[in-house]
Amino acid sequence: MNFMRLSLTRLTWILVVTGFLADHAFADTNLPTVAMFTTGGTIQSKGAHRQKLMEYSDGKVTPQELLDDLPELKQLANVSVTEISNIGSGGMNAKLQLKLAKGINAALARPEVAGAVVTHGTGTLEETAYFLNLVVKSDKPVVVVGAMRPFTAVSRDGPFNLYNAFRVASSPKAKGLGVLIMLNDEINAARDTTKTNTYRVETFVARDLGPLGYADSDQIVFYRRPVYRHTFKSEFDISKLDDLPRVDVTYAYQESDGAAIDAFVAAGAKGIVLTDGNPDAVKRGQAKGVVFVQSDRKGAGRVVESERQMSRGIATSDNLNPQKARMLLRMALTRTTDPKEIQRMFNEY
Amino acid sequence: MSIEKLGDGRRATGVGRNAGTPFPAQARGPWPVGRACRLAVGAAVAGICLTSFAQEIPKYAPPPPMPAASVKLPHVVLMSMGGTIASRGDTRLNITNYGGPGAPRVNPEDWYKDEPELAGIAKITLEDERAPQDRKSGTETQEDLARVSKRLNELAADPTVDGVVVTHGTNTMAEVAWYMNLTVKTDKPIVFVGSQRPWTGLSGDGPRNLYDAVRVAASKEARGKGVLHCMNQFINTARDVDKTSAYRVNTFQGVDVGAIGFADPDKVVFYREPVRKHTDGSEFAGKAFDTLPAVEVAFAYREAPGYLIDAMVANGVKGIIIEGTGAGSAIGGEGRQTDAIKRAQEKGVVVVMTARTQGGRVQDTPRRRESNIVPGDNLLPEKARILLQLALTKTSDLGEITRIFNEY
Repeated sequence: MNFMRLSLTRLTWILVVTGFLADHAFADTNLPTVAMFTTGGTIQSKGAHRQKLMEYSDGKVTPQELLDDLPELKQLANVSVTEISNIGSGGMNAKLQLKLAKGINAALARPEVAGAVVTHGTGTLEETAYFLNLVVKSDKPVVVVGAMRPFTAVSRDGPFNLYNAFRVASSPKAKGLGVLIMLNDEINAARDTTKTNTYRVETFVARDLGPLGYADSDQIVFYRRPVYRHTFKSEFDISKLDDLPRVDVTYAYQESDGAAIDAFVAAGAKGIVLTDGNPDAVKRGQAKGVVFVQSDRKGAGRVVESERQMSRGIATSDNLNPQKARMLLRMALTRTTDPKEIQRMFNEY
Repeated sequence: MSIEKLGDGRRATGVGRNAGTPFPAQARGPWPVGRACRLAVGAAVAGICLTSFAQEIPKYAPPPPMPAASVKLPHVVLMSMGGTIASRGDTRLNITNYGGPGAPRVNPEDWYKDEPELAGIAKITLEDERAPQDRKSGTETQEDLARVSKRLNELAADPTVDGVVVTHGTNTMAEVAWYMNLTVKTDKPIVFVGSQRPWTGLSGDGPRNLYDAVRVAASKEARGKGVLHCMNQFINTARDVDKTSAYRVNTFQGVDVGAIGFADPDKVVFYREPVRKHTDGSEFAGKAFDTLPAVEVAFAYREAPGYLIDAMVANGVKGIIIEGTGAGSAIGGEGRQTDAIKRAQEKGVVVVMTARTQGGRVQDTPRRRESNIVPGDNLLPEKARILLQLALTKTSDLGEITRIFNEY
């Protein structure tokens, strides 16, 4: 009896565990493994009702809910989940980004992992994606995905975006292209893509340059490869970092003066990205060792490399928008404060 | 006679007097002069017209310094296939009714003379591959394309040549560039360029476009990226570039996938490489195609009839490109396109589907496969036509043609 009872208990456990594995973790050896990292955002948010497309902070969607919502993934990939955070993208910071990047590097170093998917709020998605583009040490696909409409909304874009992100992350075609952004069927390069609209589903656009390819129903298709350095060709190493230097951004407008620059310097900024710069305030900052990079508020086109700017010790940001120039300057400052060397990095990344 | 017409005093001198009138030639000037006098004035002004209105390059700003004689410049062949960039208008404000049969043209030597800065960025050799003067853009024949392709293949094999710039009329230059992208075996930059305003136009875009195109052709970074297109400071690929506006200088856009780089004031810079096969990697490259199988384009619209497709078949086409509605649909129903497509296919005609949306891909769907229709990917109909023509020189197998449309 005792033996029987033990067996039954054991059997029950075996059944439960097997059932769980089959449902959640039992690896189909024919399928690629994709490491999913969740950070939160609209894709993981719940609204008060189905038509609520704004102020949807009535609940958080867990990684498990995301997966349960998308049973089609079971035919596509084995998923391993790491929850980094469950926050709106406005709360993203260097510590979380480093945790995320280290987790991705560890996951992609495992031979059975084909690629990584990262969920993120769309507001600063482009910044985290570009940061990963600079520090991920792998040629395996890393796909950052979000949604413009919450988990609870009618006509929500999240599920198909997430499904497509997994398709791209497990596709050999996506190897070596750097970190990718996946919304609205379009596969965009992390470096060049920015959020261009507050609410529309086609918000992520690489101005001038366009997407690299599409996640269409018949196939994942690419037309372009990025030329600038990224991921496995990058010189930046985060393995020993637990925070990043403070870098701020000033905005240019008529009658803007150097007050913001002085305040950022006083707050301890190591670098400042300018969209315009009061020359006196810049000089005061430089005297305290602050590094300046000239970007622009127009949203497209390059700030050309200029001897005049370099003679003032200011590097130019190529066509990086201010928020992305900030990410590169942060990484650059982990290696150097020499404006010429920083200019080289802005020319290469 | 044509010179006299161009140099008519009322037209040329009318610019200043009739400020604000776009076409002063049509203004009735009070000039009671005799024919002889008019001729004399005309001849004199013709001279002025062809020199002072030759191009829009300010004479008061000094040109950039020339490189030292010891600097070895890249060797760029500047080849003219004509176009607006090789055209003259009768006045500086005439940016619509220029060129045409008998009108004086801009010869390659004129560009070189008008823009001496070109000599500062490359060692330039001039070549003239223009069609006869009584033909204009849009009327190149396959013979013209084969001749130029053959010449570009020769230049590609010439170790002294670093790059080639080809000028062309803007209306069909994207097609011609695409043809060269598929048939020229090289990793050297071949850069197509044109202008939206004639060489004589006020604020003409030609000189800067030409200068930038030579910079791109001379740059090492442009190698191995296929045939390129450079106007309005954007560098586009031949595959994806399309003319999107009749008159604006920003007319050329990389449909959906954007530009791959910029010819900016400080440098030529690339952000993208094309993924699809081209030039060196093309199975059609380096071959002469003096003639190609006939392929025509049928446009889909509400109630589009099937008899146009029947007529194409009766005229012996080997392939038909459908410019379909939406995601790529022909028009169905009694007497419409879909029945005619079936009749065409029964006679061995290959049918490829493109989309009139001018953006997005026509996908490889089960239904399309059942109908034996090849998906044209995101190629514009006129470009799908050229690819199908080339594909049909090798095969009529639908699977093989689908592969070709997936790879190029």
